[in-house]
Amino acid sequence: MGDNPYQDDRGNKDRSITKTHGVGQTPLRKGGKAVPVEGDAPFLIGEAMTGGYGKGPDILHECTIAVNAGEIAVIVGPNGAGKSTAMKAVFGMLDVRKGRVLLDGEDITALSPQDRVQKGMGFVPQTNNIFTSMTVEENLEMGAFIRRDDIRSTMEQVYELFPILRDKRRQAAGELSGGQRQQVAVGRALMTKPKVLMLDEPTAGVSPIVMDELFDRIIEVSRTGLPILMVEQNARQALAIADKGYVLVQGANAYTGTGKELLADPDVRKSFLGG
Amino acid sequence: MSDTVKTTGLFALVALLIIGTGFVQSWNSALLILNLGLISAVMALGVNLQWGFAGLFNVGIMGFVALGGLATVIVSMPPVNEAWAAGGLRVLLGLALGAATIIGAILTYRAMAPGRKRNLTLLAVLLVGFFVFRAVFDGGVQAVEAVNPSVSGYLGGLGLPVLLAWPVGGLLAAGAAWIIGKTALGLRSDYLAIATLGIAEIVIAVLKNEDWLSRGVKNVIGLPRPVPYEIDLQNDPAFVERATGLGIDPVTASTLYVKLGYSILFAVVLVILLILAQRALHSPWGRMMRAIRDNEVAAEAMGKDVTARHLQIFILGSAICGIAGAMMTTLDGQLVPTAYQPLRFTFLVWVMVIVGGSGNNLGAVLGGFLIWFLWVQVEPIGLWLMQTITSGMSEDYWLRGHLLEGAAHMRLFTMGLILLLVLRFSPRGLLPEK
Amino acid sequence: MDILNAIVALSNFVLIPAIAYGSQLALGALGVTLIYGILRFSNFAHGDTMAFGTMATILVTWWLQSMGVGLGPLPTALLALPVGIIACMLAVLATDRVVYRFYREVKAKPIILVMASLGVMFILNGLVRFIIGPDDQRFADGERFIVTARGFREATGLQEGLAIKSTQGITVVTAVIVVAVLFWFLNRTRTGKSMRAYSDNEDLALLSGISPERVVLVTWLIVAALATIAGVLYGLDKSFKPFTYFQLLLPIFASAIVGGLGSPLGAIAGGFVIAFSEVFVTYAWKKVLGYLMPEHLEPSGLVQLLSTDYKFAVSFAILLIVLLFKPTGLFKGKAV
Repeated sequence: MGDNPYQDDRGNKDRSITKTHGVGQTPLRKGGKAVPVEGDAPFLIGEAMTGGYGKGPDILHECTIAVNAGEIAVIVGPNGAGKSTAMKAVFGMLDVRKGRVLLDGEDITALSPQDRVQKGMGFVPQTNNIFTSMTVEENLEMGAFIRRDDIRSTMEQVYELFPILRDKRRQAAGELSGGQRQQVAVGRALMTKPKVLMLDEPTAGVSPIVMDELFDRIIEVSRTGLPILMVEQNARQALAIADKGYVLVQGANAYTGTGKELLADPDVRKSFLGG
Repeated sequence: MSDTVKTTGLFALVALLIIGTGFVQSWNSALLILNLGLISAVMALGVNLQWGFAGLFNVGIMGFVALGGLATVIVSMPPVNEAWAAGGLRVLLGLALGAATIIGAILTYRAMAPGRKRNLTLLAVLLVGFFVFRAVFDGGVQAVEAVNPSVSGYLGGLGLPVLLAWPVGGLLAAGAAWIIGKTALGLRSDYLAIATLGIAEIVIAVLKNEDWLSRGVKNVIGLPRPVPYEIDLQNDPAFVERATGLGIDPVTASTLYVKLGYSILFAVVLVILLILAQRALHSPWGRMMRAIRDNEVAAEAMGKDVTARHLQIFILGSAICGIAGAMMTTLDGQLVPTAYQPLRFTFLVWVMVIVGGSGNNLGAVLGGFLIWFLWVQVEPIGLWLMQTITSGMSEDYWLRGHLLEGAAHMRLFTMGLILLLVLRFSPRGLLPEK
Repeated sequence: MDILNAIVALSNFVLIPAIAYGSQLALGALGVTLIYGILRFSNFAHGDTMAFGTMATILVTWWLQSMGVGLGPLPTALLALPVGIIACMLAVLATDRVVYRFYREVKAKPIILVMASLGVMFILNGLVRFIIGPDDQRFADGERFIVTARGFREATGLQEGLAIKSTQGITVVTAVIVVAVLFWFLNRTRTGKSMRAYSDNEDLALLSGISPERVVLVTWLIVAALATIAGVLYGLDKSFKPFTYFQLLLPIFASAIVGGLGSPLGAIAGGFVIAFSEVFVTYAWKKVLGYLMPEHLEPSGLVQLLSTDYKFAVSFAILLIVLLFKPTGLFKGKAV
């Protein structure tokens, strides 16, 4: 039995009365306001973040993640190092008890994830990142939900970036292959015209060939000047395309540097890249 | 406040309410509330077993209760020999043929390879079986129902002692639960709720419609009693003497005596079931049930047969509801199929379990008593309230009449309100699971 | 000639009633399926929501009738319907505000919402009985028939008459319009699509800037409208009685599940499957067969497969068969 009596369903799995598919996991957080800050800071930075989920223990300890305009920043590290957690902290999905998050000259630490989307953060979760029952085109339209202007040119850009999506635009997204689904997911996030794109393990579960293609596309996106923050399992490939790399261990920064530096660092090589 | 104090306090409150009824209204009403409270507590115990221990959502309680009621008729009423002679065996033969058809269909389904040929054979078996069943069965039913329809027109029962009907009611309900559970449980996700909702309606339809079995809407009246009749007591000089000795009018004394007799019988059943349920809860079996409930995946990985355990507890819980149903029909002394209403027999029991405290046997019992008390007393309270509100209005003002008439429906409203309040502010119920 | 007579008898006693009843069930099932898809629980209060909306409509109808306002050949209830819908919307929004919203905030499991809906069911049930009473109410007025049996016989010279009640005609026409509008809304409009997105994946909908509270609000409004329309059509066609509406829950749930819970298309298909099987199995086929069979083979009995009282049994049997062979329903539901 959990702490929350309302979440005790006694293991009932009666689907004639309840639906568990697609239930939201994001805890509702009352958002505060964004505060403009003085001084020079990277375009997006999670600064010395310490925090965890709800009342749970701290998972992150003084962790700092930043990305500048036109850059690709990559978070790597062993399993359970808190890579995804760090990204979720930047996105406001867990309680940051110490430290702050700055975006484009504003302190957004108090904002809820929804408000951060409005501020221009595009987030692609690792799993369940598409609307499976909707067509590819509808997925993209939903990505642009917050926009009130004409979205056709953005959709055109997404189709140019991912030509296969144009062919499949009338197909349900759930019927696509793993790599194509990831393209839909990234495309959906791009539809908001975000100021920064955050990808949580975009290549999880896809074949090496598809992975290479996805990385190519991500580089292409970054060439448009869009800063990209990315969590990756495949550290070697990811660091190869990264302008900046963060190696996390147990929720804290272990090594930081450019992608090239980290790839060359003997310590990093030995502990994380398999020699 | 410790758990024991809270439990004792709440039960004392219920006792006080019932005793208060005795002083304010009459001891007859108090005992009536007590008797039906005991039966409600048994029902709540059964549902709590299913929901509290295993998370099974049964919304067909009414059906199991009604089966218990049917058991009372089948066990205790004297057989109608004429009806048996007229067509009893034919009815039974018809039923056997019907059962054979279904078994035949299942066997065909299992024996043949999937494909059109199987579907056609299956259809043929079912159609032929159905018409043969109807041909044999209908004739028998007509013959049986033609026998003196105003007083019998049905097969009657076995003429056995009525107390025997209580376990038989449990068995009948268990049988139905087995069939439902077999089909509705154990797929990747179950659909027990809709299955029980449907079966309950079907059971009631059968009771209302199969006159040969239950006299349908003509009701079966005059069921034998496990306690003496009031009139016999009043004619018994010894009883009258004792009543007068105690300073009670013999007529009142006889009604109280009879009701008290039922109370004792029901209390014995409740206590036995409560002890069994408590021991089950703390036995390895109960711990396993809770382990399955709290983490089904882990339990399955440890080699527990989750489906079989769910089926088992569903049958047990339903059997308890069947026993309660038999007890209730015994108390009423008649089987009235139209009296079975889902709001009263299914959803009210749910209110009892949720308000009392799901997962806690004592909580379910408490909920049974408390909610039953309110169910009975809200109506007079509502009427009183409406009279107070309307006292300023003139006698023939339309709103006055409307409000007074509507007071009877306040109880549904109140039950909903209580359920919502408890669910929101004390979601684990008055006596939470430890 | 006999074949024509058989067809007419079949249409008169089976097809037309089943189509009308099927439309009513479909509208009811659509409401259940929308709540299931978006709020993720089966709403046990749906039958009583229907009763509430219908009651409001009836009260306004009576008032209009007393004022001498009417629609000529059409039932006055159609004029009162918008008011009934608004009243139902207000009631439903009030329950959401007071009851359900809290559980969304604490991220309650859907089963808790099911239990809350039991409470709402009791309250609405008591309220409706309190306001309009537990008895049967008839409120249909206007022209009773589009085609009368006698008129049909005279026009065609057939032995069998064909009667189409105006309420049946209105039911089918209204249902077609409502369903068309609903599908257009869900598939073509921004709000409709956002509802589907929320139903599919709450978290991602949130990330896309879709406001859950707005989706829920719109859903309740649609459901209230559907419930009131379904309830009024059923009441016009048959009659209004609070208990009957409560009991409609079973065939409505059965329709929604047979079609595949969460699938609007399935709800409609399910409604007709259930309605047709109910009417087919409980209809006495003697008349139709009498025309079709040679004289010496004519059936002597009523040839009724099951008595009308077993119509619930039929819904349930169909439900069971569908679930055994196609556990997700006819149109793949989202969750089963």
